[in-house]
Formats: sequence, C-alpha cells, structure tokens
Amino acid sequence: MKKLFALLMSLTLLLALAGCGGDQPSNTPNQGGAPNASASSITPAAITERGVLRVGVKTDVPGFGLQNIADNTYSGIEIDLSYKIAEQLGVDKVEFTPVTAATRGQLLDSGDIDMVAATFTINEERKQSWNFTTPYYTDAVSLLVKNDSGIENFEDLTDIVVGVATGSTSKAALIAAAAEAGVTLDEDKNFAEYASYPEIKAALDAGRVQAFSVDGSILAGYLDNTNHIVESIRFSPQDYGLASKKDATEWAEYLDGLITGWLADGTMAQIVADNGVVASYTE
Amino acid sequence: MLQQIFELWRWQDLLASWPRFATAFLNTLEIAVLALLLSLFLGVIFGLMSTSHNPLLRIIARVYVEFFQNTPLAIQVFFVYYALPYAGIVLHQIPIGILCVGIYTGAYMSEVVRAGIGSIPKGQFEAAASQGFTYIQTMLLIILPQTVKIILPPLVNQMVNLIKNTSIVAMIAGTDLMYRANAWATNGYMSYGPSYLVCGVLYFAICFPLSTWARNYEERLKRRDSQASMELDKVEEVVA
Repeated sequence: MKKLFALLMSLTLLLALAGCGGDQPSNTPNQGGAPNASASSITPAAITERGVLRVGVKTDVPGFGLQNIADNTYSGIEIDLSYKIAEQLGVDKVEFTPVTAATRGQLLDSGDIDMVAATFTINEERKQSWNFTTPYYTDAVSLLVKNDSGIENFEDLTDIVVGVATGSTSKAALIAAAAEAGVTLDEDKNFAEYASYPEIKAALDAGRVQAFSVDGSILAGYLDNTNHIVESIRFSPQDYGLASKKDATEWAEYLDGLITGWLADGTMAQIVADNGVVASYTE
Repeated sequence: MLQQIFELWRWQDLLASWPRFATAFLNTLEIAVLALLLSLFLGVIFGLMSTSHNPLLRIIARVYVEFFQNTPLAIQVFFVYYALPYAGIVLHQIPIGILCVGIYTGAYMSEVVRAGIGSIPKGQFEAAASQGFTYIQTMLLIILPQTVKIILPPLVNQMVNLIKNTSIVAMIAGTDLMYRANAWATNGYMSYGPSYLVCGVLYFAICFPLSTWARNYEERLKRRDSQASMELDKVEEVVA
C-alpha cells in the first residue's frame, strides 16, 4: 500500500514538473519552488497591470481576518489593509485566499498569492524565508475576564485560577510577566489547563476559572457582553507583519513603505480601532 | 517517544518535579478509594432493590442503572463541572471525580450484584424463609455471602475500570495523575515520553495489586468450598 502510494506520488510529481517545464522553460524545478520567472513578475507595476491583488488571509480570526460564510465576504484589520494597498496600486479587485499557519508560506513561494496578511508573527527564522514589513500590529497575550471580576492588575491574579490551553506558552509567559511585576503565581494553584479554547470559555462562563489567557487576537473571538479583555495586563508581544516572497524585493519595499507611512500618520491605528480591536501593544 | 525515554536528562528533570507527580498520585488514589466505596455501596443497595419484590424499588433501580450505563461518563462529568454552577452547585474536581465515577460504576456494580443474587438457587431463599429469617437477614446472612465468590471476578473488573476511569477528571483540570502527567508532558521541555510512561506505571501500580488480590481471594474461597465438601463427603462415608 505504502509503495503504491509512493509510486503514485512520484508519478504525479513527475507529471507536474513536466507540465511546468513545457509551459515555461525558465521554470527549473531544482530551484525549490522559487522560480525566477514568476518572482520577477511580482512587482507593484505587474500587480497593477494584472488588475488583481491576491492576498492570503485568515478566515477564523475575528478582528483580523474573518470570513462571513453567509455572503462569502471577509472583514478585519488585514482585509481593510489589503483593500487599502489595492487602492494605492490602482487595482480595484482583491482576491482573498484562505490560509492557515501551515499553508501560508508555501502559497507565497509558489506564487499563488502576492502577500500574506494573516496574523503572521515575525521572527528571525521566518525572515530567512520571506520578506516581512514593519509590524502593522503588535499582539500580546492578555486575559479575558468577566465584567464584574474586578481584575485589573497582576496582584489581582494571586487568588484566582487562570484557564490556559494545554501545551500553550501562555502559562509560562504569564508567570514570568507577573514575576517581573513582583507577583508570584503558582503553576498549580493559579492555573487550570484545558484541551481547547471553547472549553476554557465554558469554564470562564461557569465560574470555574476567573480569567482566560491566550493571544489577544484569539481572545477577541470570545468577547461578548459579559466579559472584556484586561487592557492593563498584556505581555509576551508578537509582531504581525505582511509577508511577501523572498526574492520580490521591490514589492516588499513598496509594502513596507506603505505600512510605515500608515503607522506614522495614524491610518493604521484608525483601521485597528474601526475593527474593534485593542490598540497595538507598546512597551 | 522512544527516543525521549532513553534520554537521561529528561528523567532527572522529571525526578526534580516528583513532588507534583506524588500529589497528583495521591489525588487519584483519593478519588479512586472514595469512588470505590461509593460504588460498592450503591451497587449493593441498587442490586438488592432490583431483585426485590416491590415493583417501585425495581423501577427506581432500573432507571438508575439504565441512565448511568447508557450515557457517557464524560458527559456526566462535563454536566456537573460546567452546567451545575449555573444552578448554584459548585463542586470541585476531586469531589466531582468521586461522585461521578462512583455513581457511574455503581450502576455496573448493581448489575453484577443483581446477576449474582439471581444465580443463587431458589431453595436457599425458601430454606431461609422456613427458618423464620426476615428479608434483610436472608440477604445479609445467607444470600450475599454466597454471591461474593460468584461476583468477585466481574466486580474486580469493575473496580479496576473505576480506577482507570478516574482519569476522566483530567478533562476538567482535575489535578489528578493523568492531568498532571499531561500538563508536564506539554510544558517546559515537552518530555512526554517519560511523563506518560511514569503515569502508566503508577496506574498499573494501583490496579495490578487489586486484581491480583481478588484472584487469590477467589481461589481461596473456592479451595475452602471444595475442602468443605470433601470433609462433608468423609462425614457421609463414616455415617454410611
């Protein structure tokens, strides 16, 4: 069975490669999915000429990239940002492609999309593979609490239980951030681990935990009229940047120019506020 | 997983957090022992009820057994943990474990007890009645002692299942052995290999002695029986 599968896979690959070669002789397969021909094709001018900006976005992150199933529209900071970039390019069509953490890099490399605007955290390893703009938003781990909880600072956490996801880094990050503020949290007494986010929300609603801790962008999805995000407790920041293909340097510089400009003139802060997301984290 | 098990530093790391595993082990033990007592108590009570001549008692026992046997333990635990607080009933994870696992297993035990009582020949009941025993006396002095060796193997199966089922409270952040092992396996160095292995060994350490004891006890009872009947045969021979 395994052998048959491997055989089929290699056949498919071979056919795919042959197909590429036939269409575009310059597309040499040994360049690891980063062929020159399409790389040079992603420039601001080329996108304007094409008339469509192709963006990879999240479909399930409220406030950032959320797909409305009913009419197939998207909304969020990253969607508004894409339209704004299209406007600058003089393009009136934006084509959104749903991406996940696992697919976004590959889709950029294959040239299927021009950029990724999908809560993509910038780090040194990723900078080796893609171009990132200046961060347009800095997310941070925060706490979701009931409106009547009165939780405002780290001292308020000593007697409560915080719900975190099993295996997430939120617990260690919160203990460290509290320690910095001179508050000691006990890894057993102050925390309860659950298998999924909805379970933590259910535990919060039932009063089993008094706070729900994870990245602010994820917490936003669980906001309702009984709870709020504690804006005074934010830690372990992560920078989100627009990512583009490594060799499309002109395009990357163009995007970075737009973002730095919008950060300076307050356009970016306005987009964030318009989407009901807490302001970008600042030290 | 295998590779991790051979990495010594991971074991040293685990040894350093041994107190946390020990408390978790004690919590599991506490849930198991108390749930066991509760389930045995419920098992005998409802087992007797389902063999009684009073139809109302039989119906109550039937409803209890069918309800708890035919709904998943996980749903019962989730209900108590997430839903009861809305009714003002806030139980902590360990009492939830004791109650839910105890009541759930009690349903199975009551079926075991019912089957055990049903297997005792009718003559025993009649003989007891002819000697003027009341119902309770008949059950406690004549019938239940005879059912013990019949129901011991299935009963111990249920006990061992109960101990393993206590791990359900890990789903509701139960501070038991499974929860702690899982938390330890997914935090820090992610040493899931040693963590789960130790967890499995500790569960085995509770279950194995129990099933071994039960097997030996059952053997002893059977031997005593056959000895008794052999002696009876001898007596009969002498008389003859």
